[in-house]
Amino acid sequence: MATSAASDRKTTTVGWTRPRLSRSAPDLARYAVLLAFLVVFLLPFLWIWSSALKSSREIARQPFGLPTEFRWQNLQRAWTVGHFDQYIWNSVIYCAAIVAGVVVLSCLAGYALALLPVPGRDALLVVFLLGLMVPFQSVMVPLYYLLRDIHLLETYWAFIVPGIALRLPFGIFLMRGFFRGLPAELADAARVDGANEWRVFRQVMLPLATPGLSTLVVFQFMFTWNQFLMPLVFVQRDELRPVSLGTMFFFGRYTADRGMIAAGVTIAMLPVVLLYLALQRRFIEGITAGALKT
Amino acid sequence: MAEMSLPAPWKEAGHARRHWARYRAGYLFLLPSFVLYAVFMIYPFIQSIYLSFTDWNGATAVKNFVGLDNYRRLFNDGLLWTALRHNIIWVVIGTIAPMVIGLLLAVLLGNRPRGFTLFRTVYFMPQVLSPVVIALVWGWIYNPVFGILNKGLDAVGLESLSRGWLGDPTFALYAVLAAAIWAETGFVFVIFLAGLQNVSRDLLEAAMIDGANAWQRFWNVTVPQLANVINVVTALLLIGGFSVFDIIFVMTQGGPANATEVIATYTYKEAFTQNRVGYAATLSLVITAISLIASIVFIRLRERGES
Repeated sequence: MATSAASDRKTTTVGWTRPRLSRSAPDLARYAVLLAFLVVFLLPFLWIWSSALKSSREIARQPFGLPTEFRWQNLQRAWTVGHFDQYIWNSVIYCAAIVAGVVVLSCLAGYALALLPVPGRDALLVVFLLGLMVPFQSVMVPLYYLLRDIHLLETYWAFIVPGIALRLPFGIFLMRGFFRGLPAELADAARVDGANEWRVFRQVMLPLATPGLSTLVVFQFMFTWNQFLMPLVFVQRDELRPVSLGTMFFFGRYTADRGMIAAGVTIAMLPVVLLYLALQRRFIEGITAGALKT
Repeated sequence: MAEMSLPAPWKEAGHARRHWARYRAGYLFLLPSFVLYAVFMIYPFIQSIYLSFTDWNGATAVKNFVGLDNYRRLFNDGLLWTALRHNIIWVVIGTIAPMVIGLLLAVLLGNRPRGFTLFRTVYFMPQVLSPVVIALVWGWIYNPVFGILNKGLDAVGLESLSRGWLGDPTFALYAVLAAAIWAETGFVFVIFLAGLQNVSRDLLEAAMIDGANAWQRFWNVTVPQLANVINVVTALLLIGGFSVFDIIFVMTQGGPANATEVIATYTYKEAFTQNRVGYAATLSLVITAISLIASIVFIRLRERGES
């Protein structure tokens, strides 16, 4: 409490400009708290990353600190022996297909629900909203048997098709929100000029919705890359597993070789962490928009 | 005049044609989404309800209709109530802790002090990890042989507290929960940070002129203006908390001795290891009902807040 009070006083006296790092006691307290949490959030990452380059013995004896000898072969072994080459490739396929599917379909439907005359629009909105509120478990069991009956189980499609379908409510509401924020007169002007509805959408309105589009791409990519329960249920063959699922089975297979396990876990998290560090503002804005706009 | 004397089918065709001309674009834009959604969401959802009235085991051709048997069974199912209790503990602690820590960090960084970007980047970083990775990393942290938690406790002279955290039924649920809180806080923090941007400075200054101290300004001026954001965050954490599966399944599979069993892990086992499909469908509807009720309550609250 002392620190939050302190920061409040500070902000009002300094007047919301970037303050200098003064040596006042409240400031020290504030940075002590901020740094303590920095360590809490960062330490598990550093520990796993450094363990990825150590031997099992060194992990047990010297958990902190850099490896005495960098064992790059851990990463290499996880990549080949641990099948991470396959898992990462699978995840790339799933992400490409699902992100593309969700984005294209959500843009079309979100646009229609925002700006086109649609009979029974309110009823449709309620139906899609329901999909936003129910968890995956509400369809998990019958979906498994449906996919089995149409022979999609144990193929890439078993994750791709429901992976797209179940994310449509989120995508549609997000894109509808963005399209509703655009000036409808632009579309009308294009119609007066003789453009058909497809051209109005594709050439006039869609380019204006790019911020919404990139939000959806980032959001959906992260969601699909990390998704676990759906592939766990629908994809059981090892050569079809995405990296989230593969990591768990890899972990169960090689309990003794801890260096390699840490290397596998590092490989699993690295693509999304690097992407986050490169695009971190977009990630944070996307998450905020996704939470507050749907 | 000529149109009026046309036979009825012609008139209807004309009506349909006009209807089609007006709504064609809307229909075509919505069609692919709707078909996919209907086949892979609406249809299975209805099937879930249907299966909950059967004792199907997933293999037989015939699904025996058993009426409300599965629903009656819910009330006498001790494991379900244990799981529900764990869900409630999970939701209460797993909502309050990230909110308190997230709000604290957001307020401390609200005026973007030096190092703001570094702090924000790191605080949010766990949020991009998959629950599987979080579970495996934290499983290691809790490892009795080489985990850094016990090593840390030993180092500061608290050896007596060292234990196999995930193997101990008293602590396992809270140990998993701590990992989830670690992962979730960054999300809450970022949302609050965005919310704080919209808190009126004029009101804060007016309150200060009126002699309100820092805590009063925070509690009476800042927090009420964050009401909408708090509402959204609570709803998301609550709904996520009642259907939580991944992190628990990977860390403990619901064990030891059901000490971390939640409805979602229980449902998964009933459906795919016990093959009690009918009952699993009923359990999945329990999760669904709770999520729906929570969502609707929060939508109502939000609407009331906005009007």
